[in-house]
Amino acid sequence: MNRNGPFNWILLILSSLVLLFLVAPLLGLFLKTGVGEFFETAKDKEVQASIWLTVWVAFTATFFFAVGAIPFAWLLARKTFPLKSVVQGIIDLPVVLPHTAAGIALLGFISRDGLLGKAAASIGLNLVNNPAGIAIAMAFVSLPFLINSARDGFTNVPERLEKAALNLGASRSRVFFTISLPLAWRSIITGFVMMFARGMSEFGAVVIIAYHPMVAPVLIYDRFSSFGLKYARPAAVLFIFVALVVFTILRLLSDTGKTVVTKNEYADS
Amino acid sequence: MLILKNISKKLGQFLLNDINLEISDGTYYVLLGRSGSGKTQLLELIAGLNQPDSGELWLDNENITRKRIQQRNIGLVFQDYAIFPNMNVFENIAYSISSSKIDRNQVKERVTKAASDFNISHLLGRDTKHLSGGELQRVALARTLIKSPRLLLLDEPMASIDASLKDDIKRLLRRLNKQGLTIIHVTHDYREAVSLASRVGVIHNGRIIQEGSPDDVFRKPVNKFVARYSGIRNFFRVGFKNENGKWCAVSNEKIIFNLSESSYPEEGLLLLRSDDIKISCEMPSFNPGNCYKGIVKEVLPSEYGVEITVDAGVIFYVDLSSDTYKQQPVVESSEVWLSFPEEAGIALQGVN
Repeated sequence: MNRNGPFNWILLILSSLVLLFLVAPLLGLFLKTGVGEFFETAKDKEVQASIWLTVWVAFTATFFFAVGAIPFAWLLARKTFPLKSVVQGIIDLPVVLPHTAAGIALLGFISRDGLLGKAAASIGLNLVNNPAGIAIAMAFVSLPFLINSARDGFTNVPERLEKAALNLGASRSRVFFTISLPLAWRSIITGFVMMFARGMSEFGAVVIIAYHPMVAPVLIYDRFSSFGLKYARPAAVLFIFVALVVFTILRLLSDTGKTVVTKNEYADS
Repeated sequence: MLILKNISKKLGQFLLNDINLEISDGTYYVLLGRSGSGKTQLLELIAGLNQPDSGELWLDNENITRKRIQQRNIGLVFQDYAIFPNMNVFENIAYSISSSKIDRNQVKERVTKAASDFNISHLLGRDTKHLSGGELQRVALARTLIKSPRLLLLDEPMASIDASLKDDIKRLLRRLNKQGLTIIHVTHDYREAVSLASRVGVIHNGRIIQEGSPDDVFRKPVNKFVARYSGIRNFFRVGFKNENGKWCAVSNEKIIFNLSESSYPEEGLLLLRSDDIKISCEMPSFNPGNCYKGIVKEVLPSEYGVEITVDAGVIFYVDLSSDTYKQQPVVESSEVWLSFPEEAGIALQGVN
């Protein structure tokens, strides 16, 4: 054993305990669910509809809000303006809010008496108990993940590359689309995946905005409270399985995307 | 012609202060300054990346102070070249022309010609991540010059390339300048100014403290900072005297320097370039104007040969080329003679 032996052992034991803490409940969930139960739940139309609703609403919310969030992230990375730190704090607010509180706040905003609710009602859309409302709830709690990751990605793009492009006659928008965006792509995709994942798993805010139609986390809760653990477990396993498959695919797609060079990698080249 | 009139710009705690410059067409202008002296900020102001707080910029009789960067047509090559890592060499060079309404074949033709002019035709399809410093610099120059800018700005162009490639790049820059391109080149290395510049400016703490031909700046520095910057290492605090119509300078009552006819202050600094001083083992047979016996304290290798430190009552630093040193090697602790003509002494009023 070398000089660092005891220290290494302590590190190993502590790390294993933390890992076990994360893995054990999930492993227990999988082990206690029979194969038959699993496939039966997979065939359940209500479960299928719920998972599909969760995936597409989370994806649409992420995609739709990314259109505004990505340029906003560039602004935060590149510009200084009064009260910038306050704005940064506001962006992180949904992460620290209790999500039920976020749901209640949103309900006031999107119900028929609220600002957005009134606007939606004028075109015949009721956001409460509607996929659009669910998307808003998902986006509210998960936007910080995309904005912060994209902002870090833009910060890592050397500013002189943007300056060089401007000097070569490119417009600001061309610089954004040909230099800033492709070079921050990996961080943006990471943020995108994180926002999507967070949106999919959201329960607290969504359950207040829309109990029906049921997204997967609400369905799992509904089965647990109505029928007990035995009935909720296979639906939970199926949802975790689908989520893992979706994230793995997204990760693979982002890794095979354009090569991205960070400040440090660039300096080394 | 580029004219900067009373340009000032505050950047955080730093101030570019009242910069006035006139750079004629075809000039190779080298702006010398330490890191943080404001030389890169000045280039960015000229390029249009920043706007001055006050003052005016004129290019070919046109006031470009508030003109957008995209419309100035001033090329800027950054210190680390700022090659776009998400594009290959071809795409980098084509960047400035592929946005405009030029057809693909013409873009290809122009990129091929630019690559050929800079000897990088073989790199066109290559990824930029594996190029050497010299190759990256050629790509950056080709990318900038493909648009035929009215002015080329170079930010420390030799800072990131191997010493062996510096001569190639200098030849390339001389060729571009001879073809009529006006170049403004900022650097901290006076040797680049000596070998390239037709005019030189020295910038310190956001102010241009001296400007003129290389001979003016390096032979007649206005103060100790410029003298140090132009490679002078022999500084003697002296009193200047006129005895029987002949000028001399006395340092600490220890040594007397004979000087040529000129006007001198009562006291100040006497400067000597290290390469103006001759060193020999024997006393020179003729009268060189100034001649002193001293002891060699140190012999150190330098970039161009050796640097010899001699104590002759005061400390002298002498530069010898490798060839000269081989012909006449001197060793530490040996006795030597130092000589230089009366015209070699440069007088400065004040001691800073």
